[in-house]
Amino acid sequence: MRAETPLRSETPLLSVQGLTVTFDGFTAVSELSFDLYEGQTLAIVGESGSGKSVTALSIMRLVTLGTRAKIAEGQIFFRQPDGSTIDLVQADEAELRKIRGNQISMIFQEPLTSLNPVYTAGNQVVEAIRLHQDVTKAEAYQRAFEVFERVRIPEPKKRLKEYPHQMSGGMRQRVMIAMALSCDPTVLIADEPTTALDVTIQAQILGLMRALQDETGAAVIMITHDMGVVAEVADDIVVMRNSKLVETGNVFDIFEKPTAPYTKALLASIPRLGSMTGKSQPERFDLVDMDAPV
Amino acid sequence: MTDFETLVEVKDLCKEFSVPGKAKIHAVEHVSLKVGKGETLAVVGESGCGKSTLAFLIIKLLESTGGQILLDGHDITHLHNKSMREYRQKMQIIFQDPFASLDPRRSVGYAVGEPLIVHGEESKGAALNERVGGLFERVGLERDHAQQYPHQFSGGQRQRVCIARALALHPELVIADESVSALDVSVQAQVINLMMELQQDMGLSYLFISHDLAVVERIAHRVAVMYLGQIVELGPRSAIFENPSHSYTKRLLDAVPIADPRQRRERPLLTGEIPSPRWEHGTSPELVNLVEVEPGHFVAEE
Repeated sequence: MRAETPLRSETPLLSVQGLTVTFDGFTAVSELSFDLYEGQTLAIVGESGSGKSVTALSIMRLVTLGTRAKIAEGQIFFRQPDGSTIDLVQADEAELRKIRGNQISMIFQEPLTSLNPVYTAGNQVVEAIRLHQDVTKAEAYQRAFEVFERVRIPEPKKRLKEYPHQMSGGMRQRVMIAMALSCDPTVLIADEPTTALDVTIQAQILGLMRALQDETGAAVIMITHDMGVVAEVADDIVVMRNSKLVETGNVFDIFEKPTAPYTKALLASIPRLGSMTGKSQPERFDLVDMDAPV
Repeated sequence: MTDFETLVEVKDLCKEFSVPGKAKIHAVEHVSLKVGKGETLAVVGESGCGKSTLAFLIIKLLESTGGQILLDGHDITHLHNKSMREYRQKMQIIFQDPFASLDPRRSVGYAVGEPLIVHGEESKGAALNERVGGLFERVGLERDHAQQYPHQFSGGQRQRVCIARALALHPELVIADESVSALDVSVQAQVINLMMELQQDMGLSYLFISHDLAVVERIAHRVAVMYLGQIVELGPRSAIFENPSHSYTKRLLDAVPIADPRQRRERPLLTGEIPSPRWEHGTSPELVNLVEVEPGHFVAEE
């Protein structure tokens, strides 16, 4: 388990500066800034509509595809493996194709909609590998086998030949993680990766993600609404509400000494297992006013 | 053992679904439980454990394939349409997704007033509007909201509308099937508080179906843990959470992420999944044997 946060002497791997994203005049993300370092897990937390997913999609520059969204302002600096830094907001499609799914990859909430139902899991992972690496089909297949083993899929040979509908939700999410890791990304963005899963499967996937991060050293941006998940995996937290950053800091500081009223309200409204120990009757939540002045 | 007078009793309730390939899904297997007046019984378990099927059987949205359902001592297991009508008023259900359970082309006031008309308690007019307005206020909405349409509300407000509709006929039992799961945490806390307040004021009984153990710990008087269609542990909330005795209950509790970074725990890396409840004709699952380990606390023998 990683107890201490990584050293921060180096320059950030990814630096989001003053990001503003608008949809036809509606501001989904407003002047958001944060840094991500190697090996760090940064959780972006917030409720529906806070702008957390739009932030993730902006980093991948997927937000403008097929929508009327516009990155109105800001820069997203990404340090590539060769040491050069690129502004993802200004990058052209050819450059982005080299980065997406290769250096920065993403896992989504619902693995069934992210996987193609008419291709086997193996086919889809092989495709992702061959898109970014100059390897033969056989080599890519071998590589897919290795990542399946890495994400602890039992009987990887058999699973490579299966279709998404033949797998359980947890297994599909493992396939998505395998695909995301197949090109050794330096940044992994996980958008609510365990929200659709049962709690025992969620525990497995969180454990897996933690182990993989230790093995690969990738930085992770975890988008979630679940403070329990945050407490379990994050080094640092960005709290968002209504498109804006509310508070940011180390996971221990935010949980123990939150300063913004919204963070306090959010923490007060989480049902915590064990909070009712010794009490005989059900009890209401003590709600805190979210809009109280600081 | 409970301090509550029994409202609903379920005895050996079973539901099997036929599936292709000469097999059956044993969704609910010989489940017996009681819900007391003014009590919240939570049913917890993972996807496919049969908890929603159990709720549907009790409210008779599904026909059981065995066993008995008693409401206030009356056997309602085999009642249909007309004979069931008077009992339907006493049982209401609130679903997970409030948007899907409201008609997008009707005002929410209509949704709340419709059961009153259907059951002949009111006809359209000022008196109906008055009662609907009162229900809106009861669940923390404004009277004027009644004229608006579902899309004009937030998720939490929509769930309040569904609660108002469920309350319209003065039910005794409200089944909440994952009713707060789709809500943001701050809204979820408000809706849970509202449900508890309504219980106190109106003496409602809740059958609270949920996969979220932390929510259940807040709201339940008693808890039933379901696994593969059967209850593996049943008891007062404190017994289940402070002295979980069945291995599956322990596994469930261990898996819940704790919202405190100082309490991080090691997580299993291996896969382990719940087996299928599908059984070939002529085969059937082994029935568990519930043993009372302390007063009111039943645990399946392993």
